Amino acid sequence: MLKISPDETRLITRYIHEISGIFLDESKKYLLETRLNAIAEAEGCRSYQDFYTKAKADASRTIERKIIDAISTNETLFFRDTNPFQLLQHKILPELIDARTPKVPSMKTPLKVWSAASSTGQELYSVAIVLKELLGDLSRYNVKLLGTDISDTAIAQASSGKYNKFEIERGLARDKLQKYFSLTGQSWKINDQIRSMVNFRKLNLMLPFTGLGKFDIVLCRNVAIYFSQEDRKKLFNKIADILEPDGYLLIGSTESLTGICPRFIPKRHLRSIFYQLK
Amino acid sequence: MKTMRILVTDDDPIIRKLFAKRLRQEGYQVTLAPDGSEAARLLDAMPFDILITDLVMPGGIDGIALLKRAKEISLDIEVIVITAHSSIDTAVDAMKKGAVDYLEKPIHFDELFLRLDKIREIKSLQKSADDLREAIQVTENSAAQTIQELEMINSNLLIKIDEMEEILTDFSQNAEARIERALKILEPR
Repeated sequence: MLKISPDETRLITRYIHEISGIFLDESKKYLLETRLNAIAEAEGCRSYQDFYTKAKADASRTIERKIIDAISTNETLFFRDTNPFQLLQHKILPELIDARTPKVPSMKTPLKVWSAASSTGQELYSVAIVLKELLGDLSRYNVKLLGTDISDTAIAQASSGKYNKFEIERGLARDKLQKYFSLTGQSWKINDQIRSMVNFRKLNLMLPFTGLGKFDIVLCRNVAIYFSQEDRKKLFNKIADILEPDGYLLIGSTESLTGICPRFIPKRHLRSIFYQLK
Repeated sequence: MKTMRILVTDDDPIIRKLFAKRLRQEGYQVTLAPDGSEAARLLDAMPFDILITDLVMPGGIDGIALLKRAKEISLDIEVIVITAHSSIDTAVDAMKKGAVDYLEKPIHFDELFLRLDKIREIKSLQKSADDLREAIQVTENSAAQTIQELEMINSNLLIKIDEMEEILTDFSQNAEARIERALKILEPR
């Protein structure tokens, strides 16, 4: 196993921050070694300095992708934490649909939702399922569900809509599993109708949000916890910019915007909090 | 998981007896079924960790149909199919449909025991992961309640401070009136 020196720790953590926004302090030396060792050795590197040089010089960015996959956490579940989905179903979506339904009956109701760190897609597919159950026939709606993530591998899996039994069983009720997934071999695949509601693409949340447009709902749950305080402020400020004036922001259940972004005001509904612009 | 509950389905009574004897010697709980219909009935009636089934059996329910049935009842049931050497393709097909492994006839029991050990190991790791997740969830829920409470209190206090600031700097009124109005904001609503 390659040993990482204090200088190399600083070098590598700075590099990881640069490519992903993920902030690791020097106490995370152990995490770096356990997660990066296999990649560094496979690249034939003798030291982490060597590894850094090689990653920087790699025009194909293959090493960079591997580092992001190794460092980022893809812990996600279908309907992780039921509260936000009940909040969507019983409060946010009905309110939004009321507000967005056009006066002209022939026009479709627009609805744009963004899962800012969609990981392998479970959160966004859960939103799609809630929408489908709530609205039934979607032909009168113009629904756009976007999922973005820093990891190409996570995006690829999200796009495939395929999950193994460990990824699928927890959180997903049996009736929803039967209704929205089919078993092919050892994996479960989301059905085409739900699949066609969503889009996934790579995005680094540290970069400007150009070309994303405005959203009615933004889910940014359990990702800012990996960022520095400064980067959190920048992130939520940018989210405030792309949220519709009456739009909704959902963050992780143990996260807080206190001291992060004064443009948002928390509102409580039953057991959940959501945020709206002041 | 101390011992695993295994359902063995094979139409050959000699093979059934052999499975029962060898698996029980190893400490497994064994139930036997002579055909697919009886096995399906047993799967409905009681929980099993593992189903070992012959692929080719007389009657309406063959090995593949039984595999599907078992997976419908519980995704946790691991299925091992038994196949003749000549029909490896069918065994591969069974694995595509969710079987965890296949055994070729004649059965090498030492090989089967090794595979059962592996399955037990994976199931036990899975259980530890589930337990940990559960523990995290409990901690997270409790933290979330506290954080939500603080977030709302903090937000309300900030609003009150803004209101007080506005009143206190409203110099159209005299100091006494301003203070009186400002103090009103601190009263519980």
